[in-house]
Amino acid sequence: MRYLTIALSKGRLTELSVELFEAIGIDCSELKSSSRKLILKDEKNKIKFFLAKPSDVPTYVEYGAADIGIVGRDTLLEEGRHLYEVLNLGFAACKMVVAGPTDLIGKLDQLNNKRVATKYPKIAREYFEHKRGESIEVIKLNGSVELAPLVGLSEVIVDLVESGRTLKENGLVVLDEIADISARMVVNRVSMKMESERINRIIDGVRKELEKR
Amino acid sequence: MAKWRIYTPEGVQDILPNECFHKKNLESKIRNVFRSYGYYEVETPMVEFYDVFSLESEIAPQETMFKFFDKEGRILVLRPDITIPIARLVATKYKDADYPIKLSYIGDTFKYNELGGGKQKEFTQAGMEIVGINSHEADAEIIAAAIDCVKSSGLENFQIDIGQVEFFKGLMEEANLSNEEIEQMRVLIDKKDFLGIEELVKNHDINEDLKELIFSLPKLFGSIDVIDKVEKYALNNRCIAALENLRKVLEILDDYGLSKYVSVDLGMVQSLNYYTGTIFRGFTYGVGFPILSGGRYDRLVEKFGEGKPATGFSLGINMIMMALDRQKITTEEPMIDSLICYGQKGRKNAFKICETLRKQGLVVEMDITGYEIEQIKNYARIKGIGGILNVLDDENIEVHNLENDEVKKVSVTEMLNNR
Repeated sequence: MRYLTIALSKGRLTELSVELFEAIGIDCSELKSSSRKLILKDEKNKIKFFLAKPSDVPTYVEYGAADIGIVGRDTLLEEGRHLYEVLNLGFAACKMVVAGPTDLIGKLDQLNNKRVATKYPKIAREYFEHKRGESIEVIKLNGSVELAPLVGLSEVIVDLVESGRTLKENGLVVLDEIADISARMVVNRVSMKMESERINRIIDGVRKELEKR
Repeated sequence: MAKWRIYTPEGVQDILPNECFHKKNLESKIRNVFRSYGYYEVETPMVEFYDVFSLESEIAPQETMFKFFDKEGRILVLRPDITIPIARLVATKYKDADYPIKLSYIGDTFKYNELGGGKQKEFTQAGMEIVGINSHEADAEIIAAAIDCVKSSGLENFQIDIGQVEFFKGLMEEANLSNEEIEQMRVLIDKKDFLGIEELVKNHDINEDLKELIFSLPKLFGSIDVIDKVEKYALNNRCIAALENLRKVLEILDDYGLSKYVSVDLGMVQSLNYYTGTIFRGFTYGVGFPILSGGRYDRLVEKFGEGKPATGFSLGINMIMMALDRQKITTEEPMIDSLICYGQKGRKNAFKICETLRKQGLVVEMDITGYEIEQIKNYARIKGIGGILNVLDDENIEVHNLENDEVKKVSVTEMLNNR
């Protein structure tokens, strides 16, 4: 039997994903041991795992290097890959928002030159250009995006917000919500056809497990 | 200035003899299938006016095309696809034909693809088209031919999924969604994004049965039972006609004996403006992308003149090669049967022997180095040549068998008569 390959996002999603797979009877012990191996196996179920940078997971799955992936919806929206988004795993829930200083509340469209700092240039563009019909200048940053409006690098930011505490402490507010974000299970389009039985068994298992929670 | 001299641009590549041998062999196997169905090949230009493709923004988005200008400033493109040029060709060159036109093609196409997973910016496509008829038989024949092409390549484990975009369009008609929402829905169903579908359906006043059906669309794939399941719902005529067509096509494919390669997918909904009926895609192990795709496109030819219904498919030669490689399916390898070298007095005979052997269908290399026999043997070993004929003079030949390192002497007459 061919191995099914699952790509997991490295970071806060890893543990939650492992928990879920263990609950449906997939052996993740190799994954939990602090080994330096890149590819880990469950020989009994013929499943291979690997951990990848979250933003790379959709790429692995689209190209068929992994059959299944676990990744946040933020990454999926940003990468815009051609794959099946089969399950909302519910965990790691937060929101993608536009945020800025309080004096911009309700005045977002009056701003002539919009400079938007973000880790998600594609999501930002899509939102402003398609949903609002406004042109923007995107400033791509790699972290601490909240800093940008404070130091005059940008007018607003597009970023993930969980509790909103960082925003509040820095005098920023949510100006608009773009999307609800949580972890998703994605499947390669060809694998879904060629390995439909095994993959559907995993999907159904996970779905049932989620319903229990 | 010459900074890029030794490089090839990203997304295009040289193809070396071994791979090229496999590629050309594959193309000729597929060409044989085309001919055996009576679909003779055409060639359309590599370069076309941008206008040819500009109306098909789903199949050939502007930003994916290589563009340049002619002397008059008109926009030219490297063809991103061959079906659209064939529609132009049929609409203009077969204007008055009142019978089905059957054509095929094998050629290079160009797209600013993201690279990887078998995708290149220059890639070879092979395909067949029937223009001028809309029948279940035409839909089925084109699928049968596609299956034969894949089989001829050596792939055995593959699957063709068949869908019907009219079914989806019929459902949307009933649900009374705006064009924009229909496109949104199409994308969601195409992604099997259940949550998104639920969200979109929720905000509309749609009857419960229809809601349930739309919501189940992404799951509606598998055997012919899928159609039975769907037929239990109250459907409008458009949906019923679509299912009827699908059922007929599957029946015909069953008579072809091809049922084992075929399955149904009602949730397959690509390019609604382009496709107008049965659509299909081919999948196999080892490549993350479809190896072929096709379907009915009755509204394309009319953009170039008088309207004609049409159906066809195109198959990615590079994808098939990658699948063969990944599935470790070996096909014929290039090989050289023998190498002929000669002493000063043997040259004329050497050419005679060489010509005779080549006429018999053997692959024979002639030595052009004039090196000593030991050096020639080394060369032959590197190239995997089985034997060397050293023509010494008018009469004597040394036969070096490189597999067992034996040397035999034979006469020229023996050699020419024995073969």
